Amino acid sequence: MPVHRYEHRTLGPFVLTLPAIVGIVLLFVAPFFTFAVYSVLTAGILPFQADVPVTLEAYKHFLSAGVNRTLARNSAWTGFFAAITTVVISLPVAFWLRYAAGSRRNLVLLLVTATIFASYLVRIYAWRSMLGQNGVLNSALISIGAIDAPLQFLLFNRFAVTIALVHIFLPYVVLLLYAALGPVSINLLEAAQDLGAGVIRRWTRVVLPLVAAPAATAFIFVFILSASDYVTPQFLGGTKGIMLGVRIQESFLKTGDWPAGAAGALTMLVAFLLLYLLVSFALRLLGLRSLRFVS
Amino acid sequence: MNLGLNPLSRKDLLLRGGVALVAIGASPTLLSACGGSGSSGSTAALSTAGGDGKVGGSIDFLSWEGYDTPDAIKPWSEQNGVKINASYIGTHDDIQAKILAADGSTGFDLTTYYQGYKPLYAELGILDALDPEKIPNIKNLFPYFQGDVGNFWVDADGTRTGVPWTFGGIGITWDDVALPGGLTSWYDLLDPKFKGKIGAVDDPTGNIALVSRILKMEPDKINRDTDLPKIKDFMSQLLAQTKGVSASYGDMTNLVVSGEAVACWMGWAAMNSFAADAGNNNVKTAIPKEGGYGFCDAFAIPITVDNPDTAYSWINNILEPKINAEVADYLVGATPVEQSVPLLGESTAALYPYEDIDAFLENIPFYNNPPIESDEFMTAKEWLETWTELKANAGS
Repeated sequence: MPVHRYEHRTLGPFVLTLPAIVGIVLLFVAPFFTFAVYSVLTAGILPFQADVPVTLEAYKHFLSAGVNRTLARNSAWTGFFAAITTVVISLPVAFWLRYAAGSRRNLVLLLVTATIFASYLVRIYAWRSMLGQNGVLNSALISIGAIDAPLQFLLFNRFAVTIALVHIFLPYVVLLLYAALGPVSINLLEAAQDLGAGVIRRWTRVVLPLVAAPAATAFIFVFILSASDYVTPQFLGGTKGIMLGVRIQESFLKTGDWPAGAAGALTMLVAFLLLYLLVSFALRLLGLRSLRFVS
Repeated sequence: MNLGLNPLSRKDLLLRGGVALVAIGASPTLLSACGGSGSSGSTAALSTAGGDGKVGGSIDFLSWEGYDTPDAIKPWSEQNGVKINASYIGTHDDIQAKILAADGSTGFDLTTYYQGYKPLYAELGILDALDPEKIPNIKNLFPYFQGDVGNFWVDADGTRTGVPWTFGGIGITWDDVALPGGLTSWYDLLDPKFKGKIGAVDDPTGNIALVSRILKMEPDKINRDTDLPKIKDFMSQLLAQTKGVSASYGDMTNLVVSGEAVACWMGWAAMNSFAADAGNNNVKTAIPKEGGYGFCDAFAIPITVDNPDTAYSWINNILEPKINAEVADYLVGATPVEQSVPLLGESTAALYPYEDIDAFLENIPFYNNPPIESDEFMTAKEWLETWTELKANAGS
């Protein structure tokens, strides 16, 4: 009956998305409100205790502490460098996969995704082995006579953290941009070429405007995950690579000051939302599409 | 060529890193103890002594993962038909939190505590008084541990609340190839020639306690106005000598093994063993002339106990010489049981100078944690915040 078909059409998508909605509510919305509540409580005398009175003291302390400003700068720069590097490297790879890889596409896609299966910590330790004083890179450079003594700037700084984060997020961004280029027909590029556009012009006038929104999405994706990371900085960042995520993590697990940790986490969330709005506004100002994963 | 990767398996590393932090009262943030391989396999002598004979049923154990010493305790639990329900903690503060959360009802039968927490636990009243008559193996302890100079296990009025069962000491650990003979003073670590070559570990409580020891202060009586600036000054100089702060002792051992660090602030004898497992037998540890500090964990029966006789029997069993030697091997720690010394594995026995244990213990005094509240002295929370700020500012 027509009525029943109509009901099926309207309920179907809802039923299908229900597990995802439940998951998001349980794993994001509920923790978010829990954090919001904790952030306005007062830390107890004993660690890991929080109670009334309700106060904004945790936010005040978080925003006024000089050390947090230093760590926020570290987070912002690390997030920016990791995000921009990842997107810049991924875009040509995704373009090549979409339009030029031919029969090698599946093999390359397999290789790109294969790195995801390696443990996060294993990859971090691998970079320490690569960049360390007696690591692969220094040993190789010494053995070919390029340097006399090991390079000290490779490890335990923001550079090492950025490299590892780029390595970790590169496969995701390649896949994201590859998917974004899917709907972009090769005919558009061929038409531009027929009309006399060179390689650079085809990129700037055809490819980049079409992938600007997904590339911006990828940028924000990597920025947020990099700037809030607290594992990689601990292993590769040394004293110069500590970021805000480490401070927040310590509030929860070491100092036991949950209001401070919750206030820090929510402040970072607001900062990330502002970044999202800023990028979205910039895209609109440039006449590009608003932020979307794939058109 | 040393690539920085070593044969120490990640599982072992995590376990040991976790246990290392556990032992000095810090909370491993990312690396939790995972249980796993012990050095068991011996058929330990069983003891049914302790308690009043009503041993059996289930026992609810609350402590760090690994502190239930599954291999060492197995013969006792099997013989007595004891079912062990273990609850593992993420930080030491979980112990009082979980016991207080029970709010007077029964639950946990057995726990452990690091000696620095004794004043807090006494104030909270969460530990039962122990009957030494039910733990005859206390007589097996070194005289130092049978008594209690710091009232960590026995109160001034003679009431016992804890039984020491594992301990260790903190000194300087170094690579003896890079630094033959090692360093004799903590101040040697500040020598400009070691810039970028010193390892440090992310243990807020231990770091500040050690600085206070070097600067001849009482850790639980650090004055905010007069002492704290000196501590910050020393710690800033020390951190400027490092490339970074390791997440665990296992991670810091990796730095020494890979040549990134030649000496470690807050070294630990167990690092010698970790390094040997990774193929480097040249890592040594010693207590500098200014002294180090010690850490000791004790078994205790919390007020939530509902199977006290089995808890007593467990404690008594762990003080059996053969069992405690096995435990020391498993935890890469020192044994407080005198008769366990000749039964230790070769590498474990070499970690601490048992031939003159009293002098050694005098050089690594145990200390109390900072107060929770104080108008005059730095509180526990201030210690943690100070360390976090020092660490964050070290690179700026």
